[in-house]
Amino acid sequence: MNSIDYLIVVAFLGMIFFVGSIFYKWIGNSDDFYLAGRNLTPFILAAVLAATNINLYSFIGQSGIAYKYGIPIIWQTWTGNMAMVFSGLFVIPIFRRLRIRTIPEFLEMRYSKGVRTLVAVIWVFRLAFWLGVILYTAVTAAQIITGLHSFTALVLILSVVVIIYTMLGGMWSVAFTDVIQFILMLGGALILLPIAMSYVGWWPGLVAKLPKDSLTLVQQTGKYSWKFVLAIFLLGIEWACVDQGLLQRAFGAENTRTVAKGLVLAAIITTPFALLWNLPGLAARIIFPHLANADTAVPLLLAHFIPNIILGIIVVGLFSSQLSATSGNLNGIATVFASDIYENVLNRKATDKDVILVARIITILAGIAMIAFAYAVPVLGGAVNAYLTVIAIMDMPLFIIAVVYGLLWKRANWQGAIGGYFSGAIAGIIGQYFFKFDFNLTTFISAGAALVVTPIISLLTKKSTSVTVDNIWKAKKTSEEESNSNNVYNIIPKTIPGKISLSILALGLILFLVGVILGSEGLELASILSVSGMILYFIGGLLKAYTN
Amino acid sequence: FDWRTWGIWAIGFSILVVWIIVPIKEFKKLLKKRKEKHN
Repeated sequence: MNSIDYLIVVAFLGMIFFVGSIFYKWIGNSDDFYLAGRNLTPFILAAVLAATNINLYSFIGQSGIAYKYGIPIIWQTWTGNMAMVFSGLFVIPIFRRLRIRTIPEFLEMRYSKGVRTLVAVIWVFRLAFWLGVILYTAVTAAQIITGLHSFTALVLILSVVVIIYTMLGGMWSVAFTDVIQFILMLGGALILLPIAMSYVGWWPGLVAKLPKDSLTLVQQTGKYSWKFVLAIFLLGIEWACVDQGLLQRAFGAENTRTVAKGLVLAAIITTPFALLWNLPGLAARIIFPHLANADTAVPLLLAHFIPNIILGIIVVGLFSSQLSATSGNLNGIATVFASDIYENVLNRKATDKDVILVARIITILAGIAMIAFAYAVPVLGGAVNAYLTVIAIMDMPLFIIAVVYGLLWKRANWQGAIGGYFSGAIAGIIGQYFFKFDFNLTTFISAGAALVVTPIISLLTKKSTSVTVDNIWKAKKTSEEESNSNNVYNIIPKTIPGKISLSILALGLILFLVGVILGSEGLELASILSVSGMILYFIGGLLKAYTN
Repeated sequence: FDWRTWGIWAIGFSILVVWIIVPIKEFKKLLKKRKEKHN
């Protein structure tokens, strides 16, 4: 990068800081800070969701895996998008009707205050640490791309501005800056793709020069085989139903139907765009065939093929992806702490002004913790992986108690939920560290333990009856808010077009699953079927979001 | 640069232009709504 490129980056940071800070005036109450006053419209919500889900490591890490193992890693994005369609159409609308702000808040409605506090404390720490890890990986990637080797300078560039505007404008700032950053990050990635592909001779060039199977989407064997696709799809469903970063954005939607539209649009828009950071990784395999560190593939492409000024614009796009992921999750930490811990446990008489002040202080403290964790990552080494693994293992039991039993089985009680949550976590940790199971298998073991233990303990303990549980069951059908505004969203459609759209969605899902399972036989048909199924699934999802 | 390069850019940037115009319109509406509310 030369001085003009640096100037472009500085101008971008200044612009984002200015735009983000304007929204300080828009914060009238705590709902404004947490959820942008529940005013987000479908296209804004879609851009915000896409920007939050894609960080700098998506570009660098996923392209690095594509460089090393071939195209199947793209399923990580694609199945995540399929999961977003599922949760957006069937699960999150129920949460939105309950007008909650966080998943822990739902857990209090469904089980007890204790379950809410427990999960909230875990989430505050996990989000802050996760932000530290992605900041560290972003800085190491940015060092290669920018040629700026000062770790501290890059940490400050990628954190100070975003902490300040998120603290000032809360979710309003996050939403508006995310829309800008969504455009910039995809625009930047769009510039690189044709340049890299034309150099290797486009698709025929990839087919001719890459190792066999590199371009097979559903592979029979290997690290990213058909089993990986199936496992990552199920993990994606769990993520799309309980991830605070994703759900909080969806809770900011203006109504239930907007939740469905926003999530489906976000999924559909990022599906073709996933090629933007996977195909350059494959092209780099031909251009730089013997890289010791695959994560340097895309940074090297940028350094070799992109002229200055354009490079500055692409770097702005890459930085955008990081800032948007950071701002969304900082706001998530502030919301969980202020809403679930401060307002609910520490100061029940807190006024709205107190809550906003605490949320702002927590945003700054979480930002400082993120920076501290980023410095700690290289010192902790393997401990970081262990921590992330344990956290990932604990997500599955949370999904089981919050969504599977929380929404589908009224008899589940708080004793069963706590028992299921911990037994799932312990079973997963034992599987991972004592039996050395594969991570995908571990997550299924932890889910299985929670699935079995929750009903056993629930049936052995007293049945709990509560009005709030009845309200959750009512929210599956409709809400007063929807009836009053005459904008009812039917989760199970009642009209003919709605039923047809649901049938298309189901047919797409079946085709996708059949395609993936056929991958175990090594059939060429497997990839075609699974991609066709995915496309059909998205068409059905889009129609369902817009019909009743 | 051949037709494929321009094709990818045309499709990709058209989608992004839609994502610039529509959210700006929606934010303008929200701003108007807030001003009216602004009690």
